[in-house]
Amino acid sequence: MSLNHGREAFREFRYWHESVLAALLIALLVAAGVADPAFLHVGVQTELSTHVWELGLLALPMTLIIVTAGVDLSVGAMMALSAVILGLSYEAGISPWVGAWLALLTGIAAGAINGVFVAWVRVHPLIVTLATLAAYRGVAEGISLARPVSGFPESFAVLGRGHLAGVPIPGAIFAVTALLAAVVLARAPFGRALYAIGNNEAAARFSGIAVARAQLWIYTLSGAAAGLAAVIFVARRNTAKADIGTGMELDVITAVVLGGTSIYGGRGRILGTLLGVLLIHEAREFVSWKWERDELNLIVIGALLIVSVLLNSLSSRRETE
Amino acid sequence: MRQIAFVLLLAVCSIVSACKEKTSKPVEPTAALKPAGQKITVCLLPKKKGLPYFSSCADGARQAAEELGNIELIYDGPTDGSPEKAASMIDRWTFKKVDVIAVSPNDPNVLASAMKQAREKGVHVLTWDADGLPDAREFFVNQATAREIGYALVDTMAKDLGGANAQGEVAIITATLTAANQNEWMKYMKERLPTYPKLKLVAVKPSNEDQKLAFQVAQDLMKAYPNLRGIFAISSVAFPGAAEAVRQADKKGKVLVTGLSTPNDMREYVKDGTVASVVLWNTLDLGYLTIQAADAIARGKLKPGATEWPAGKLGTKKIVGDNILLGNILVFTKDNIDQYKF
Amino acid sequence: MVRRREFGVLALLLVAVAIVTAVNPAFLALDNVRNILVQCAPTAIVACGLTLVIVTREIDISVGSLMGLLAAVMGILTSPERVGMPVAAGIALTLLLGAAVGLLNGVLVTFGRVPSIIATLGMLTALRGLTELLMGGAWITDLPPALRFFGTGSILLIPLSLWVAGAVIVCSMVLARKTRLGLRIYAVGGNPLAARLAGLSLRRTRLFVFTLTGFLVGVATLVSVPQLSVIESGIGSGFELLVVTCVVVGGASISGGTGTILGTVLAVLLLGTVRTFLIFLRLGDMSTYWERAIQGAFILGAVLLDHLARRRMSRETMRGHSAECG
Repeated sequence: MSLNHGREAFREFRYWHESVLAALLIALLVAAGVADPAFLHVGVQTELSTHVWELGLLALPMTLIIVTAGVDLSVGAMMALSAVILGLSYEAGISPWVGAWLALLTGIAAGAINGVFVAWVRVHPLIVTLATLAAYRGVAEGISLARPVSGFPESFAVLGRGHLAGVPIPGAIFAVTALLAAVVLARAPFGRALYAIGNNEAAARFSGIAVARAQLWIYTLSGAAAGLAAVIFVARRNTAKADIGTGMELDVITAVVLGGTSIYGGRGRILGTLLGVLLIHEAREFVSWKWERDELNLIVIGALLIVSVLLNSLSSRRETE
Repeated sequence: MRQIAFVLLLAVCSIVSACKEKTSKPVEPTAALKPAGQKITVCLLPKKKGLPYFSSCADGARQAAEELGNIELIYDGPTDGSPEKAASMIDRWTFKKVDVIAVSPNDPNVLASAMKQAREKGVHVLTWDADGLPDAREFFVNQATAREIGYALVDTMAKDLGGANAQGEVAIITATLTAANQNEWMKYMKERLPTYPKLKLVAVKPSNEDQKLAFQVAQDLMKAYPNLRGIFAISSVAFPGAAEAVRQADKKGKVLVTGLSTPNDMREYVKDGTVASVVLWNTLDLGYLTIQAADAIARGKLKPGATEWPAGKLGTKKIVGDNILLGNILVFTKDNIDQYKF
Repeated sequence: MVRRREFGVLALLLVAVAIVTAVNPAFLALDNVRNILVQCAPTAIVACGLTLVIVTREIDISVGSLMGLLAAVMGILTSPERVGMPVAAGIALTLLLGAAVGLLNGVLVTFGRVPSIIATLGMLTALRGLTELLMGGAWITDLPPALRFFGTGSILLIPLSLWVAGAVIVCSMVLARKTRLGLRIYAVGGNPLAARLAGLSLRRTRLFVFTLTGFLVGVATLVSVPQLSVIESGIGSGFELLVVTCVVVGGASISGGTGTILGTVLAVLLLGTVRTFLIFLRLGDMSTYWERAIQGAFILGAVLLDHLARRRMSRETMRGHSAECG
């Protein structure tokens, strides 16, 4: 009898994927520490973390989107467009702090357009964001004439490179946003609505959930995150250009899926996404640190994604059809 | 509730900015100098790993490292040319406490913050092949300024088209529209073109580092502009693509193609007459000189303010300001291309 | 024969061609049309396979990186300076490798139960890294003439790549419509549960479409890469985005079950020629900066037209039903 009880508890334990990820992460860090202890030094890790905050920020709303069985391929392009707006406004003499708000608004607007197409015109999100991926980056290139804008003041760079009690500022921003996202997804009715939509959109609609509104919200949030990520990037690297964030969308989707969010929707947690982001970050950083070969990095990340999902699906008893 | 959260977030940022960070102090090279017997680590960072141009620079660099001894040479760079990846690499090397980072910046602005941080943490930084922001590096190993490159491209094309009286329509196939170096060169090319009043620039098209695309764009340009006489293919990936298009369209000799590339990669086209001139410089020497300089700086043999310095088998090199001059731009033609094997 | 759904793409294509020809008649010159078709050939070849993949409710975004890998392998095997195999053997091995990678994708998706977007996303990254490793920072510049013939040769004045593309398109159409395998593919995509209950093997069907796509990438590589004399490591970068866009714009539904080869081919012609349109319109310097935006606009336009057409079709079907019932 106790055996059955144990088996039930086994099946009811809902944090399998996150546990596997955590184990992988710990294994990676231990191996890294053995190979080169300097890598694990707190100062080094803090500085290296600056490479990943934009990815993390974008991964949060992407989790919400993928939970509803959607996808947003245009996050990199929205980042570029927001960055270009920030750059052009700075060139026009506007303070970068005001420009940051403008960039944020640009991201929100771009995301909202995606949302309108998905929620009301009802085109599949893959297709919408495939089109806006090209359109937004194209507009960014067009209005900036592909020129970069740099020379932002040091006070602005603080946003990307400064520290608050030892914690990098973008890290603090990310932490707060992540906490919010986690709470919303796990506890708020809005979060539950997203899971319902992902599980069965028609059923969700019939049970009275405002599906269109929810979809509009999450794609707009994705745009807002892209705007924020753009501001942080420009502050950090002191450059606003139309090619920022190229390829970002695939990295973000990789992180979210690595974190256990099902691409079919209905399943996924912010905690998982956080672990996914961390795992990718540490894997990338360590491979580069140890072997100094960019080609290896690509192979490792690709393999990591496949292997982790493979392990997860082989060990789960769930049907994925 | 979400709106309040966002407002809070940005309020936090604004408050934080009010507490001014310490104003950036002038960057002093605080790196320790290593004596001759001790091993130093030198990192060579190209714009884009995987391009033969940079691979040949790396070959020259390895020669220098072997000659000098006691140098651990790391050659790594982003395979996709992404400046952000390059900046991340600089960050990592800074924290691994390497001795010298020699970087060819694909985007000087994006890399500047990483380079400055490296210098603040005691790493020597120099640039090669393309320059960074002046206060981000100690020296620039300069084989040619953007101005020299731009002018050389235009002058070479004009010479092949008939000298001062050169006439016809010309087009430029560049890398990506946002490529910082190509944009610099184009600026000077456009500055130089009026010297040949009968040459008219009709189109500038990107090839996005895709040789097939450069091929197709060149094909389309020749069809759309029947009076096209010359194509500038200013990316080493685009150059063979454009030349192939001209050859296949049977326009060899009627439409000239010029650009920057290693002699090995363009030899076939120069020999059969599709390409009259290839503009470049000795990449092996460039890599060699860069490592020589890196070694000398790390060991204190080369300090800011020097006006010349012996660079191994290359002899004494002149230094103008903080530019270590490699020498002249080379133009490879049918007559001399076999002398160069890189 | 052209159904409503494909009409949108065809209309856009004809309008665009009309406008460009009006501005610059050289556009419709025979050799220019030939160039354009040759440019579209590899995309069309791979898109045929990818259409079938998307019809089965899967996706394959690794095709671009696979093309890069196959190009590198083809070059390394046939170049006298490297391995120096006879060209026929090198080509055969390359095609085999393409099919093998396709099969691997299929195995990950069917037996490993990895969602196809994830499996092929991982492949996209890993294969690109592998290609860079194989090429080792050098280009392959001494391709044997026999290999170059596949890219540059013509038979009866028509380029080889067009013959091959034509054959692939016709075979794919026949496969999709006239064979039992084709029926199975549409069934598996349209209603997997019903298909399984009817006794169809979903696994084998999916394995087939993935393997076919990998093989077709090899074919596309063969007829397009030797057009140039230099093989470099970045070949195929971004190709997957173009192919998926073409399939989707051509009317295939992401949720599977619908999609035609014809629609895909029309979309390939439309999206593959946007750049050429812009060059021929001779809009001048500034227009280059808006090229990508215009491409995006085309995609959005085609997608919207398709979407509206689909809505109208389904509304008419519903109206038809209610007329019967009411």
